[in-house]
Amino acid sequence: MNETLEKLSTCILEGDSEAAPGLVQQALDDGVVPKTILDEGMVVGMNEVGDRFRRGDMFVPEVLMSADAMQSGLEILRPELVSSGVKLIGKVVLGTVQGDLHDIGKNLVGMMCEGAGFEVIDLGFNQKPEAFIDAVKEHQPDLVGMSALLTTTMRAMGHTIKSLEEAGLREQVKVMVGGAPVDQAFADRIGADGYGSNAVAGSDLAKRLVGAG
Amino acid sequence: MRANYQVNSGVRFQMLSDDQLEELFESVLHVLEYTGLEVHHEESLQILKDAGAWVDGKRVRLPSYMVRRALELAPRSFTIYARDGNPEHDIHIGPGRSHFGPGPTCPNFIDVETMERRPYVKSDVPLVAKVVDALPNIDFCESLGTVDDVHHDLGATYEFAGMFPNTSKPIVAWSYDKYDSEEIHKIAVAEAGGQEAFERRPNYIHYCEPLSPLVSTEDALDKLIFAANHRVPLIFTPCPIAGGTAPVTAAGIIIQAAAESWMGLTIAQTLQPGLPFFMGGVLSVMDMSNMILAYGAPELSLFMAGITELAHYVGLPLWQTGGCTDSKALDEQAAIEGSLSAYFSALTGGDLCHDVGYTESAMTGSVFQLAMMDEAIGYARRITRGIEVNEDTLAVDVIHNVGPNGHYLREQHTRNHYKTEFFYPNLCDRRNYEEWEMMGKQTMSDRVVSRVQDILATHEPSPVKPETEKVIEEVLASAEKRVK
Repeated sequence: MNETLEKLSTCILEGDSEAAPGLVQQALDDGVVPKTILDEGMVVGMNEVGDRFRRGDMFVPEVLMSADAMQSGLEILRPELVSSGVKLIGKVVLGTVQGDLHDIGKNLVGMMCEGAGFEVIDLGFNQKPEAFIDAVKEHQPDLVGMSALLTTTMRAMGHTIKSLEEAGLREQVKVMVGGAPVDQAFADRIGADGYGSNAVAGSDLAKRLVGAG
Repeated sequence: MRANYQVNSGVRFQMLSDDQLEELFESVLHVLEYTGLEVHHEESLQILKDAGAWVDGKRVRLPSYMVRRALELAPRSFTIYARDGNPEHDIHIGPGRSHFGPGPTCPNFIDVETMERRPYVKSDVPLVAKVVDALPNIDFCESLGTVDDVHHDLGATYEFAGMFPNTSKPIVAWSYDKYDSEEIHKIAVAEAGGQEAFERRPNYIHYCEPLSPLVSTEDALDKLIFAANHRVPLIFTPCPIAGGTAPVTAAGIIIQAAAESWMGLTIAQTLQPGLPFFMGGVLSVMDMSNMILAYGAPELSLFMAGITELAHYVGLPLWQTGGCTDSKALDEQAAIEGSLSAYFSALTGGDLCHDVGYTESAMTGSVFQLAMMDEAIGYARRITRGIEVNEDTLAVDVIHNVGPNGHYLREQHTRNHYKTEFFYPNLCDRRNYEEWEMMGKQTMSDRVVSRVQDILATHEPSPVKPETEKVIEEVLASAEKRVK
């Protein structure tokens, strides 16, 4: 493995946002192709973050630092990826559903999905079903992710899935749901394709749903 | 012994010094005056502006005199009355009095027949209320769940309609918005005998939740304004999570939670001076591995003790939290976490301690956890009652009369006091081994289950008035029409 890529992967693992852009630039200057920088540098680091989190060896604030480092590296790498015509593993539209103003968990899922190599379109919080429908029409994503923190707002996820059905869009996307009061049984009841219990499980699920997991 | 003055001290603790409390208090005022909160409610923005607040768009900053005035208007002591006039079910809020009850809105419930976890349904409501009514150390009622098998906008209305006839202990009523708040109020007022009779003897408390960090939401304020206008005692309780939606430090989360509560307090006291108002709420940590709000964390008890002391320092009653667990089963973890937090809550003298019976970090309500905690609360209450010291209890004469090598079993003094001096367990086993073996070697959880089943089979709560029954039917019928 290229020494710079190894440093980059360690830098992501350690959550060093300041060093990441420089290391990406160095790898580009060394002539490493953008896709290799992503797959063999950054994603390697992020995968190790996921493994350590699952084992209980890393905590959420550290995972966030790693996701931040990933972001800062991607700022440099993204234009290069685009201009070299590389396809990311998928596109995700994310949002917190109508009536709910909580978005910490949803933001975490977004960062982890970007770290896993997805393009993420984040609609924000308190999003009506129509906002999800418009976003699906506009961005043609592979996945729609919804979250809610409150038992009073989780029912809006069911409404949103129903609206996607009525708009004839349900077949073209996979729907994943999450949030504190949500569980697998609820996801099944409202007809979602998957449920993730935390941010890492969410990005794992996203990978599985696009056949990349 | 002094001639005409005697100090009786119970078991309480004071964790924060007066200097620390003053610093917390001034910090809350600072946050409200300099940082301010977002208020997502047009009518409230106008009310606050007219009362002297600085309003920029949705951001509201309160000059500290407004908050001080609101604190002064809110009462420290008042009574919530049993609907049937049973004085034993009245709740007297005031210094040194702790009360306990379940919490609201768990999506799941432990089925009382199968003991399996499943979604909470309408038929669970009366059953929870009956168990609350029967347990001697549970003082108020919430339903332990969100009803899943009715129209989703009517969960709270069905909840109240199911609880009210099945316990005469005061209910803490949660609702979605002003529409079901109104439906709930109709039922309570019918039983009280009209709005004015209700205002004199309120028989339920209304519950709303602002959002952390620092947001008062539209629904929460709709409900608050409904309660204030109808003079329903009010709980305004945020649920900040340390490290997530609040500062990671105990002092930080306490002042943020207080700021969130006092925005509600200021609106409520402006609309309805003297409205009984409880500040909240549930303060705990975000588990940094599992991203849950931990209900069994020691920090929950510590944060709650801190905010209780702050509330009492400023003369407000507090909505406490305890008797809850992160465990999924009726097991040793549930007993440790639930008992310690219930005991700690009793030590603070926090006024209404809710969430007794929460398991799985508030995801699942359990009447079994509730019944087990009833025993722990009884135990805690015996301890916090403390030691009474007077001529009679010192028993110097009795010791003299019995003398060396006698016994006290036959003494009048013993007969006078043994029933009140001692705590008699309902669930904890003190039999000898042979008897215990003969009774089937029952464990604590076996005994909890049979106590709950026994209550459900035999306990008869006092009924509501026939006219209230009719009002309940009418309210449910018109609620169904509302959502059609």
